[in-house]
Amino acid sequence: MKINGIAIDDTFAEAFGMAGTGVIITADTMKWARQAAITMSGFGTSVIGAGAEVGIDRELKPDETPDGRPGVRVLLFGFSPDAAANQLKTRIGQCVLTSPGSACYAGVESDKRIGLGKGPRYFGDGFQTAKKLGDKRFWRIPVMDGEFVIEETTGVVTDAVGGGNLIILGNDRAGLLTTAEAAVDAIGAVPDAITPFPGGIVRSGSKVGSKYKGAIASTNDAFCPTLRGRVKSELGPDTVAVLEIVIDGLTSNAVADAMRAGLKTIIDTGAAKGVTRVTAGNYGGKLGQHHYKLRELLP
Amino acid sequence: MSGLTFRLTSAPTERLDLSQLTPRRLASLPLADVLKLDIGSTKSGLKLGDAFAVSGKPGETVKIEASSSKLDFIGTDLDHGTIIVDGDAGVGAGRRMTGGRLEIRGDAGALLGSGISGGEILVKGSAGSQVGGLTPGDRFGMLGGLIAIEGDAGDRAGDRMRRGTIYVRGKCGGFAGSRMVGGTIWTELGFGAEPGMLLRRGTLIGPSVDVMLPTFVDAGRHDLVILRILSRYMRERLGSAAPKALPGSVRKFAGDLATIGKGELLLTA
Repeated sequence: MKINGIAIDDTFAEAFGMAGTGVIITADTMKWARQAAITMSGFGTSVIGAGAEVGIDRELKPDETPDGRPGVRVLLFGFSPDAAANQLKTRIGQCVLTSPGSACYAGVESDKRIGLGKGPRYFGDGFQTAKKLGDKRFWRIPVMDGEFVIEETTGVVTDAVGGGNLIILGNDRAGLLTTAEAAVDAIGAVPDAITPFPGGIVRSGSKVGSKYKGAIASTNDAFCPTLRGRVKSELGPDTVAVLEIVIDGLTSNAVADAMRAGLKTIIDTGAAKGVTRVTAGNYGGKLGQHHYKLRELLP
Repeated sequence: MSGLTFRLTSAPTERLDLSQLTPRRLASLPLADVLKLDIGSTKSGLKLGDAFAVSGKPGETVKIEASSSKLDFIGTDLDHGTIIVDGDAGVGAGRRMTGGRLEIRGDAGALLGSGISGGEILVKGSAGSQVGGLTPGDRFGMLGGLIAIEGDAGDRAGDRMRRGTIYVRGKCGGFAGSRMVGGTIWTELGFGAEPGMLLRRGTLIGPSVDVMLPTFVDAGRHDLVILRILSRYMRERLGSAAPKALPGSVRKFAGDLATIGKGELLLTA
């Protein structure tokens, strides 16, 4: 099928069940809330290699945060609630606690809870105090610019989804990147979904396995334009570059909505920038519980 | 808003124990049995029907009309629903509450909210001594929930309090927060003498202190994020009756250094 001159493959993105959690980071200014969020999200690209997939969901106005300061909501996805909790603990301790003026609160509400301030509070060396207001407990940890306030727990959901994706092919590398950036921006407006890779975009899509022992994944040669002619390529003769957008969401609907938003932007604006085709990554449908058919997500 | 209304028919000649008048207890009793409840405190054997005219049907609300300061233990063990007291309340109102809402449209006696662990107590007038305090046999005073008093609070508010929030729009009496283990006491018009005696943890907030204990040390002026959270919490719980948001910067005194000294007295002026 071709829409606006862009071929849409009759295929689907295959995604997996994950545990998803989130935090709200606030600071005196949006600049510093965002800085803490970006630092916390660093090296949070693939759950296989980085232990967690982490990204900014959205910026929050002062009236949307627990302390009335500017804030950013960060989502974190892991294989299990325990794995997510471990990643959360180290990332909060190293990246948020350390950031000037920061405070950190639960960013997901659910009955199942994992520790948020439970570990970092020990940084207070006995000078930390708790304040329980209603059913929420906040830890106050003395630090050199005042106090780091952190909520004791945050919610975690076990029906989150990781690995929704769009693969964009084109005949102009710069135009392809511009289109992918616009798609990531559109996905950014969808609540409860993140694009965890750098700037939301992956240029090194992978296949399962490798010729080398011990490597569980390796370059997706079928989509590498420089290997055309040497391997069984998926690329047409005019394709010079391929980029992928990977999407994680707290719900399956969030992933579908994000893919829909990204797809619409690509279709609306991509052809003029050299986008020729959109496809999606899957493993034949046998590994992932969630399938997102591109044709059902068309605008 | 369905519920039973109890109207006091004449001024009581003895103290009356109204601890059984909660929505849960009343829902399990036929009206005839309600009228036979023992509420007297002397050998007179006073029954509820002797002192009150009852109307309405059991529901989520209990209303006590023409109330008196001789009506004790109103709202004891309240866990859901609302009790409205049209007038004053006696000793121990809201004792051991775990949920629901107790609204007193007059003054409250001593030991308001003693042992409360959840729910809200709202007092239009003033409250007696030992708000959120403890009675013999209790390990702690207030354990959670919110007590908001439009007028003043008597001495020793929050004695041995562990959690929860006491807000006093007026002035707090002497020795507020004595032996306190946690929680928050916030007064708009200041504390009386020596607040926070043997305070271990917890927060006392007010514009002034009549007499400061020598075992509190000046920790300087600070903009504390936790106060923003507290202000927002009060706004969510009390709506238009919530206090004005706390100022950005407060002067912190740490104490009581006669104990572990992890408590704080925050002066807002």
